[in-house]
Amino acid sequence: MTDMSQATVRVSDLRKTFYDESRGEVHAVDGLSFDCHPGEVFGLLGANGAGKTTTLRMLSTVLKPSGGTASVMGHDIERDPEAVRRSLGFYSASTALYPRLTARETIEFFTRINGYPAERVQQRVEELVDRFGIAEYQKGRVDKLSSGMKQKVSIARTMAHDPPVLIFDEPTVGLDVMNALAMVKVIRELKEEGKTIIFSSHIMSEVEKLCDRIGIVHRGKLLALGTLDELRAVTGEHYLEDVFLDYVKRAEGIVGEAEIGPAGALHAAGDELPDRSP
Amino acid sequence: MNWTQIGILYRRELRSALRERTIVVNGILIPIFMYPIMLWAVFTGMTFVQGINDGFVSRLAVDGPPPAAHSMLLDTIRGHERIQVREDAADPSVWDAQLAAGELDAIVSFRPIDAGALDDNFAVAVLYDRAEERSRQARERVRRLVDDYRTDWIAGRAESLDVDEAERTVFVLVGENVSSSEDIGQLLLGQMLSFFLVIMVALGCFIPSVDTTAGERERSTWETLMTVSASRSSIVTAKYLYVVTLGMVAGLLNVVAMMISMGAIVRPLLQANDEAIAFSIPLMAAPVMLAGATALALFFGAAMMILAAFARSFKDGQAMVTPVYWLVFIPILLGDQTDVNLSLGTALIPIANITMMIRDAIQGVFLWQWIGLTLAVTMALVVACLLLARQILKFEDFLMGSFDGSFWRFAKEKLFA
Repeated sequence: MTDMSQATVRVSDLRKTFYDESRGEVHAVDGLSFDCHPGEVFGLLGANGAGKTTTLRMLSTVLKPSGGTASVMGHDIERDPEAVRRSLGFYSASTALYPRLTARETIEFFTRINGYPAERVQQRVEELVDRFGIAEYQKGRVDKLSSGMKQKVSIARTMAHDPPVLIFDEPTVGLDVMNALAMVKVIRELKEEGKTIIFSSHIMSEVEKLCDRIGIVHRGKLLALGTLDELRAVTGEHYLEDVFLDYVKRAEGIVGEAEIGPAGALHAAGDELPDRSP
Repeated sequence: MNWTQIGILYRRELRSALRERTIVVNGILIPIFMYPIMLWAVFTGMTFVQGINDGFVSRLAVDGPPPAAHSMLLDTIRGHERIQVREDAADPSVWDAQLAAGELDAIVSFRPIDAGALDDNFAVAVLYDRAEERSRQARERVRRLVDDYRTDWIAGRAESLDVDEAERTVFVLVGENVSSSEDIGQLLLGQMLSFFLVIMVALGCFIPSVDTTAGERERSTWETLMTVSASRSSIVTAKYLYVVTLGMVAGLLNVVAMMISMGAIVRPLLQANDEAIAFSIPLMAAPVMLAGATALALFFGAAMMILAAFARSFKDGQAMVTPVYWLVFIPILLGDQTDVNLSLGTALIPIANITMMIRDAIQGVFLWQWIGLTLAVTMALVVACLLLARQILKFEDFLMGSFDGSFWRFAKEKLFA
């Protein structure tokens, strides 16, 4: 059940600017604002390079914002980064596991380091080992595990300290169909448990299946924010893919069959459309 | 900083490290087994080569006999069991070529000397090839035979003139060694141990510093670590303590292994040659060595981590740190191979000062004011490295692996821009 009364994650006018030798100043995130709530899966949808990962890295305090504010469970990401990290679990394709630890040691390490009460660590590890069916290979070194086994250990370590907020950044990248489905199942279970989940992806079907609300991100800006039905109603499109394209084209000021490149850039010009920012 | 979290991170680093073959080999096995194997190999090799040399038969050509009164010398040379006078080498015009070709080991010629009152005086000239071991051996054998012959001849002449041994043995040089067997042992240990202790501490820090920084990036565990609730300073402190621990462990294991090896391998071999050497270290040297190893590990750990932290892969990290490792040899050799004691001047030379401090301590020399200055200089360097590390950590692009993986690029763009 989505409890909209209290926001667990608040993002307000968040910005991140990088300096790139060839491109000069790059506004990777340009004034993003949104809230997330307990029991909600909030989807960030955008092409590669749209600014999703940068946003999530700022939320997890890996990066510092250039402007704006954000908080997780009331903790400001700049003023109290350790408390923010204690309140969330971060999962992405770029957060690997320690290859020389066993599966059990990995879960135990992340449980302890994230401040879980010491006297309950072993009980928590047992819970996670049981929940994800890791018992059989819990003493096996991570570098000897299959990708499916590693995925389970990785999810277990993400939620080792039982955080109220979980961030999944492109979690199904590189997974086969069965493992991707397993990931979707876990996210649904976590939602049922009342966790706040921020889910970023460029795979429309996953976002469509999982997310209660969707934020469409393009060139660091939030083009749209709402439930799938709300977005459909605004664009008049049924499929999320078409909804997404509609917003991107409008943002680029293009109408017609223009081709969209890898980072959402348009390869041909068309007619301008009136601005329809959220 | 949260010391509970530092402890958790530190134990995680150590646990992972002790399961990595490269770290275990470089940080533990090499320091333990290098000396026994190296010393055994060196002494066995020396004994083997000595045996081969002793077994050589020296092939000589003799140019003319000595004066008739001294013909016995030539007989003695001919009679030596390891000398063969090549009677077939009759044509002196080809001897030089034969010597150069290694067919002869030396050419011996007897040359008359006009020495006033002494009739039949002569010199023994030995033409030999110094570049050849066999040739040097042949010259040495001839020299000994000539020396013995001269001694016997002088004794015979003295006797015939009724001069006894006490009368003719005058103005002699008598040397007396005041060094005890412990002193000699400490001299050897001081030179070897100070050299290898510093090398081993550097080696012990090398792989862990690369593994815990560039290795993290390569394994994609860097970002995982950045998302745990420990502060950045706790994470860096834990990593630093881990590198320093392994550096110190390598250094101290090396000391123990050296002591055991010298006692168990070298001493029996020396005793067999009637050379009494005792390998022991003054008690006061132990804390000085410990302080030196700690200061070095703190310095090497900080310096190597700063360089390796920019690299994006283990291989790049090794490439960044390797030049530093080799550069370390220069001050070590400076400190180890000179007879200069620690002083105001030498205590200011990083690494060389620690090498001298350890060498002096093992040899029982404790110049406390310079020991204090040495440690202060090293700790000042450590503080400088840590301040630099703190500056570097403020740059977010460093955390995300920018600057082409190079410290020098970072220094150019951020520090000296």
